[in-house]
Amino acid sequence: MITGTIFDIKEMSVHDGPGLRTTVFLKGCPLRCRWCHNPEGLSPDPQLMKRHNACIQCGLCKKSCGHPECSQLGVCIYACPRGCLEISGKVMTVEEVRDRVMRGADILRSSGGGVTFSGGEPLYQPDFLRGLLDALSGLHRTVETSGYASAEVFRDILGKADLFLFDIKHTSPETHKLYTGKDNAPILDNYRLLAESGVPYIIRVPIIPGVNDGEENLRNTAALAAAGKGLAGVELLGYNRFAGAKYGSVGMTYNFSSPADDAARDLLAPFRELGIKAVYKKMG
Amino acid sequence: MLNCHTIHDIIYTKRGIHMTDRIKKLYDYILSKKHRSLRAEFPEGNLSEEFCTEGLSHSERMTERLCRALKAETPVLLEGQKIAFMRTVKNAPDIFTEAEWKALREKHFIHESGYLSNICPGYARVISTGLLSVRNSAEAFLPLADEFFGGVIRSIDAVIKLSDRYAELAAKQGDNELAEILHRVPRYPARTLREAFQFFRILHFALWAEGEYHNTIGRFDLDFYPYLKSDIAEGRLDRASAFELTEEFFISFNIDSDLYPGVQQGDNGQSLVLGGCDSSGNTVWNMLTELALEASCELKLIDPKINLRVSSSTPLNAYELGTRLTREGLGFPQYSNDDVVIPGLIKLGYSPEDARNYVVAACWEYIIPGKGMEIVNIAALSFPKAIDTAIRKTGGGDFDHLLANVKSEINSMCESIAEKVKRLYIIPAPFMSVLFEDCITGLHDISTGAKYNNYGIHGTGIATAADSLAALEKIVYADRSETLPEFISKMYGNFESDNILLNNLRYHTPKMGNDDDRADRFASLLLNMFSEALEPLMNERGGRFRAGTGTAMYYLRHAAEIGASPDGRLKDEPFGTNFSPSIFARIDGPYSVINSFTKPDFTRAINGGPLTLEFHGSVFSEDENLQKIASLVMYFIKRGGHQLQLNAINAETLRDAQNRPEAYPRLIVRVWGWSAYFVELDREYQDHVISRQEYKL
Repeated sequence: MITGTIFDIKEMSVHDGPGLRTTVFLKGCPLRCRWCHNPEGLSPDPQLMKRHNACIQCGLCKKSCGHPECSQLGVCIYACPRGCLEISGKVMTVEEVRDRVMRGADILRSSGGGVTFSGGEPLYQPDFLRGLLDALSGLHRTVETSGYASAEVFRDILGKADLFLFDIKHTSPETHKLYTGKDNAPILDNYRLLAESGVPYIIRVPIIPGVNDGEENLRNTAALAAAGKGLAGVELLGYNRFAGAKYGSVGMTYNFSSPADDAARDLLAPFRELGIKAVYKKMG
Repeated sequence: MLNCHTIHDIIYTKRGIHMTDRIKKLYDYILSKKHRSLRAEFPEGNLSEEFCTEGLSHSERMTERLCRALKAETPVLLEGQKIAFMRTVKNAPDIFTEAEWKALREKHFIHESGYLSNICPGYARVISTGLLSVRNSAEAFLPLADEFFGGVIRSIDAVIKLSDRYAELAAKQGDNELAEILHRVPRYPARTLREAFQFFRILHFALWAEGEYHNTIGRFDLDFYPYLKSDIAEGRLDRASAFELTEEFFISFNIDSDLYPGVQQGDNGQSLVLGGCDSSGNTVWNMLTELALEASCELKLIDPKINLRVSSSTPLNAYELGTRLTREGLGFPQYSNDDVVIPGLIKLGYSPEDARNYVVAACWEYIIPGKGMEIVNIAALSFPKAIDTAIRKTGGGDFDHLLANVKSEINSMCESIAEKVKRLYIIPAPFMSVLFEDCITGLHDISTGAKYNNYGIHGTGIATAADSLAALEKIVYADRSETLPEFISKMYGNFESDNILLNNLRYHTPKMGNDDDRADRFASLLLNMFSEALEPLMNERGGRFRAGTGTAMYYLRHAAEIGASPDGRLKDEPFGTNFSPSIFARIDGPYSVINSFTKPDFTRAINGGPLTLEFHGSVFSEDENLQKIASLVMYFIKRGGHQLQLNAINAETLRDAQNRPEAYPRLIVRVWGWSAYFVELDREYQDHVISRQEYKL
């Protein structure tokens, strides 16, 4: 029985592929992008999450646990009268995830949608992901990925998904490493595999003002896009102003700041010039 | 027929038609509320004393008051107005003295203010026959019911007289076109769309002046289309000019709407219906359906409220048009499913032709235009209260025994309601009766009855109740971690003595809305108990009682009647809105909610009460998402849901509006069955709107 760790299953995403989709978020990611808005997806392990704005300061959580320091025992989650505490990260079997997703099968199919695997980084749990893709082959399956994985893992998954949403955060290896903690070489290698395979994909660029919205990076990204056989389009995603919203709940601090959006610049120009279908999507 | 190209244009290329300058001027003026300063107080002070002293009958008083109200009106024409009539006199005083009211209430059951409300007059027929035709019948029947028909004739004369005065003013101002129209209607049948709209405005105006309220508008596209069709055929109108007229017609519902006598301003019953099928079963969808949706989108006013009748054969692009309107955040359209409503009404004894012609009342209930004298909100039954009382009466025994007590409590509550509403008295409505054919041929005032005389009862707090039974089943009868007395004792202590139990109930027991039969089955069970309890009951008018799934304002009131409930709801926490998940429940998402809330057999509980789903406004940010949301509505209908209310809200904006109301004068939200300006709501309603389930995608 194959298991894996999920931190959320979200019904009705409209931003994760065509039609209405249920998105399965796999926990754990090799990257540490400074602007990540899913901090609970970084660690592959279950972790405590606390909703501070619902807390009424009754202290019953501490009372029930009795440990001076939090060791993530999870006793408190059953003690809070307002349900402020939850464990993010549930170990589930492939079958359990499949049943949960298939609850919405009718609407997913009738809307021309399906299931999307995201996270965290779905490729970080390759056996689990493979199992899920097989189990849900009755639906349209999208994989939303940073592309950071071994070529072996990527090739395996490449053959199983119907659509990829592939992030290209930055084309320069140094800049990529600076802002995400990892070199982009494996990502670009996997991109080439994807581009040559003919499998449909959309390139996603989370636009981080001051980081990757420069002319050169956008041109390089457009050049990469132009090479793709199965390219269905490029999406530039507007910076999520609420990116830091969940950090406090997992005991982390969001310390990335970026200059304001330069609304006047036409970020889509480099793509248009190469005849690539590109759109800008505002997030949130 | 649904024109796919037109709809595509409207939604995606934004090539729809837009507001003309004439309309813009009128629109700005009405929104500025300046016209309200043209209103005077009702002239004579104490009508009720005078009427009492003179010993006038109730019917005579209503007629006399209407005549004086219309006589006191000063015709005013606003710049560019093509559809005239505007109130220049505030509401008339009451027709009864306090002593008389006291006597009435001792002797009778009085519903709300006592005046007739929440029915749909048969406007269309009178617009096509003219008022003189009704007057002639009244004269012919006068000897058979002279007080009634005397009132009818006087009322009609008063309305015609005011129209004549408006015609005079128009002529004086050089608007001969309008003067001619006002000589034509309301005496004679309308011939054009403009005449039909004008005629309607006059009738609706007079009903409000008479003192009735929640007079819904009816089937806008079905009723007015014949006039548009002939206008287009004869070259009098094209799509653009028809749109302009429609916008003016819609604006007219906002001119005097503040004179609505109720406390909650948005709840004035100006609701219209689009779509559906006609009494023969043919699909209704025409240019007016589309113009109505487009006009509403552009005007962004809280009136008229739009209800869309749909069925499993409604195409996706109809839902897309509806979703585009949802995106504006006005809190409509509300969708009603013909596949469920029509069979449900037929089961209750409505004729198939009448059932197919249903419209939606001020909130959500289903009524028949021109044929129904029904009180669809006569009472409300709190499911959580039924459970609260039942568990107190239950000692030992198994879970089935508890359920049997719940059933018997529901039976008892229904019998009490039936008893409480006996000796109903509704104040006569002579002019309203003009709009009901059966009243003229039947020789009686509408307030004493019509073809359909059913009553409707809301069934409140279903999710809280279903979750409560699921919790009791699990904790007390399956796990047996508490005995019933222990559980009840902790519950009555607001669970303060056992936070572990509270947490378990709130966050770790089955909840309705997660497609979980362990909770969902109780919703079906409770609704069946409710409809079975009402089945044998009959009211004094030979009507039945209809079970509903709405909660209305009772989400606060009924919640306050009980303390904490077995589902972990704490004392003073409200129920969810209408027919939706409990507010604090952790819900998996919209499909799960739809799956849960479409399981019951609604044909047995056909008083209405929508599932309410709220989405964060950002969901609608991309045009392509309109189709996705539209698919969701279509899914709901195909699964057999009876009624759906979809709202676009933004909790951050709402919180900001609470703190800075002056910055949000036109922010509109859906409250329970109607939309309102958020900043005009009482704080507790504002808080409730903010706290609802909100799906951010």
